[in-house]
Amino acid sequence: MERREFCRLLGICGLAACTGGLSGCARALQWSDTRHADTVTREFGAAPPSIGTTASAGATSPPAAQASPDIAVATGDDPAANTRLAVEILGGMGGFVRKGAHVVIKPNIVIAREPQYGVTTNPAAVAAVVKMCWDAGAASVTVFDRPTAPTLQAYAVSGIKKAVQDAGGTMKVLADRDFERISIPKGRILTSWPVLTDIFDADVMINMPCAKTHGEAGLTLSMKNLWGVMGGDRGLLHQDLMQKIVDANSLIKPQLVILDAFRLLFRNGPTGGGLQDVKPGRTCIAGTNQVSVDAYGTSLFDMQPTDLAYVKLAADQGLGIADLAKLRIEKRSV
Amino acid sequence: MTDDAPRSRGVHRFRRAIQTAFLLLFFGLLTLTVWPLGSVALGVFLGADPLIALNSAVNGVWMWPGLVAIGMLALPLVAGRAFCGYACPTGTIIETMTPSRGPGRLSRVARSRLRAVPPFVLIASAGLLLFASGAYLFFDPLATLTRTATTLLYPLVDRLLRLGGNIGYLAAPLRPGVDAVTGALTGRLIFTRPLVYGLQLGVLGMFAAMLGASWLEPRMWCRDLCPLGALLGLVGRWAIVGRVVDRDACIACGKCRKVCPMDAVPDDFLSTDTTRCQACYACADVCPEDAIGCGARPRGWTYSPTRRGILAAGGVAALAGFFSFSGIGRQEKAPQLVRPPGGRVEDELLALCTRCGQCMKVCPTNVIQPAVSAGLEGVFTPQMDYRVGSCEWSCNECGKVCPTGAIRTLTLDAKRRTVIGRAYLDRNRCIPWADYRTCLVCQELCPVPEKAIVINTADVTTPAGATVRLGRPEVVVDRCIGCGVCANACPVAYRPAIEVYGVHPKA
Repeated sequence: MERREFCRLLGICGLAACTGGLSGCARALQWSDTRHADTVTREFGAAPPSIGTTASAGATSPPAAQASPDIAVATGDDPAANTRLAVEILGGMGGFVRKGAHVVIKPNIVIAREPQYGVTTNPAAVAAVVKMCWDAGAASVTVFDRPTAPTLQAYAVSGIKKAVQDAGGTMKVLADRDFERISIPKGRILTSWPVLTDIFDADVMINMPCAKTHGEAGLTLSMKNLWGVMGGDRGLLHQDLMQKIVDANSLIKPQLVILDAFRLLFRNGPTGGGLQDVKPGRTCIAGTNQVSVDAYGTSLFDMQPTDLAYVKLAADQGLGIADLAKLRIEKRSV
Repeated sequence: MTDDAPRSRGVHRFRRAIQTAFLLLFFGLLTLTVWPLGSVALGVFLGADPLIALNSAVNGVWMWPGLVAIGMLALPLVAGRAFCGYACPTGTIIETMTPSRGPGRLSRVARSRLRAVPPFVLIASAGLLLFASGAYLFFDPLATLTRTATTLLYPLVDRLLRLGGNIGYLAAPLRPGVDAVTGALTGRLIFTRPLVYGLQLGVLGMFAAMLGASWLEPRMWCRDLCPLGALLGLVGRWAIVGRVVDRDACIACGKCRKVCPMDAVPDDFLSTDTTRCQACYACADVCPEDAIGCGARPRGWTYSPTRRGILAAGGVAALAGFFSFSGIGRQEKAPQLVRPPGGRVEDELLALCTRCGQCMKVCPTNVIQPAVSAGLEGVFTPQMDYRVGSCEWSCNECGKVCPTGAIRTLTLDAKRRTVIGRAYLDRNRCIPWADYRTCLVCQELCPVPEKAIVINTADVTTPAGATVRLGRPEVVVDRCIGCGVCANACPVAYRPAIEVYGVHPKA
């Protein structure tokens, strides 16, 4: 009898110890707790060598004979055709996506609104990009954002989920485990932040914002669109916003930037909600440098690049050319 | 022919299978109770629950599952409490967890006293019903199970799947597989943000008590305490078809009494407590003489409350009614009390709400929480907690799944115009007002098309004497619908600088 009691006690103690151990494991697996996590250094876009040779608006000028322009502007009444043309002007998707490349696309799906409100990237344009990636021989095409609304609603209501899935792409719902605290060596205020690791793991990242106004930032174009790959507390990220946008851009440099301006939300951005705030833009802009694309993007709203504080800061920091006179811009209509 | 093999004939042979089917159906529908499938069909178990349907009908709400409820209410006339034995998912769980069958370990006296409980429960419930309080529905078995699953089971499953995914992610080759599985389950069993609910301990305690009572007396909850069982039992008093025993064949061996899971066989073995019999015919299966069957005019043996018992129960009913009538247990003017859009006025909501938590289950942002600030009567009614989430502009699911219309079904358009609260900005804490730094997260995210928060830019002098140009948010009262997106997104630590308070009609 005594032995049985002892065994029972041993069993209970063992169970308690196991529970404690298990909860410890669970804690160790809490990636979300990035406050205490060590900072990881990741280099962006180290993998694909093809990019540097096709189109670079950066310091090193391409040696190629016929250089593609820095900014491609396509206008027309079909968002998909605009997008295809803009990428074609840059030399085609093949210059960015090699055979077997893993591609991630980051549209703007900030909240759950239908496409006509102009607060999310045009679904037809996203689908066109997905198709172009497949045609270029991509091994996988994944589309994601980190909406402020419930993710599934935002994906569905924006029409992007259906468009992407019809085009054969994958819509990924981001989880805490997809973020890691990554150091931003050139950051001035933002020196490290939980960032989505998928964009580092992928071979090609395509930043696909839509053009709209933004209460605090002025306009939200490609640079501000990166807030969707940043984890952590969104509210904190919006204090000292301008420099933080620039800091994030010093780390994350998508190989291709496609600015959807088929509709322009010219008031009450970034979440809009009224059709009276939307006007037709009929444009798609593509480029390889976010600063340059955003600098051109200001012209859609009759603004100067210098009107956007973060574009100015980024240009001053040497992240890209914001002077439209120094950029080679090619405009075509479908 | 051997006598030890139980003879089984008829539908009751498949009782286990039927129970399992109903249990799976219940959890299947509950699992589907997520955006974007919201429909009252998902809450059909609750809507078809006679206790809930009766309560709704008395309060003037009629929904189609009520037709099923009428059928279920008539069923005990011919099949006893078959609902309890065949369909009730809570009963199935309790039965599975019950250690043994038969009369149980209570003394005879205690057990006979317990027989007085169901009428007592009914009369007290009737008191609350007549005085327009749905508080007794808190004890409805289906509402209880829905509530328990919503606040405990689904969050647990969500976390386990997350943990499993995290572990799988440690091995890089498994990642695509994990992503595929996670993607398929997201929105069904895994949620964008880990679900949290208040009052979990209370819910757990109640469910544990329901299961634990079986230790004292097998299926004590079903036999003595369940208000739905009591209601069905009341109809069972007038059973016209039920368990009948062949008096001449009976050898009074007592096997039937021993095996009866509901303790519905009295000491004479010949009669039946038709307020309890769940028509499982376990008794017929063990009868060595094959003397038990299903037949017309069962010999009833039912407990009839004494005059004193009725008086006592009536007293409790009157007290409960007075409690509800006087409003002691209500806190409708609590500032934090914001009801989901479509929620009826407080009196009607408290009368109709089943406290089942279906609205909390379907809510994609987890903003609908069990109420703690609605007073004792309002415990576990739905309340918006903007620290957890905010009302999603593109969603009107809660009204669609409410089994009683306590939250009315609104079209998306109507829901977007329904004012449930009002945002108040605290300039002493708001970052641009108090800290002279830029922040306009609330304005940015305000989903109202013409924006209920505006930014007014001005040159302001900081306490240190510097002049800065600053945009500062202000609330446009007439536009605010109280969705709480601003309060939820406000980055001010510990307590947001913009908070939503309920709009209650002035007394």
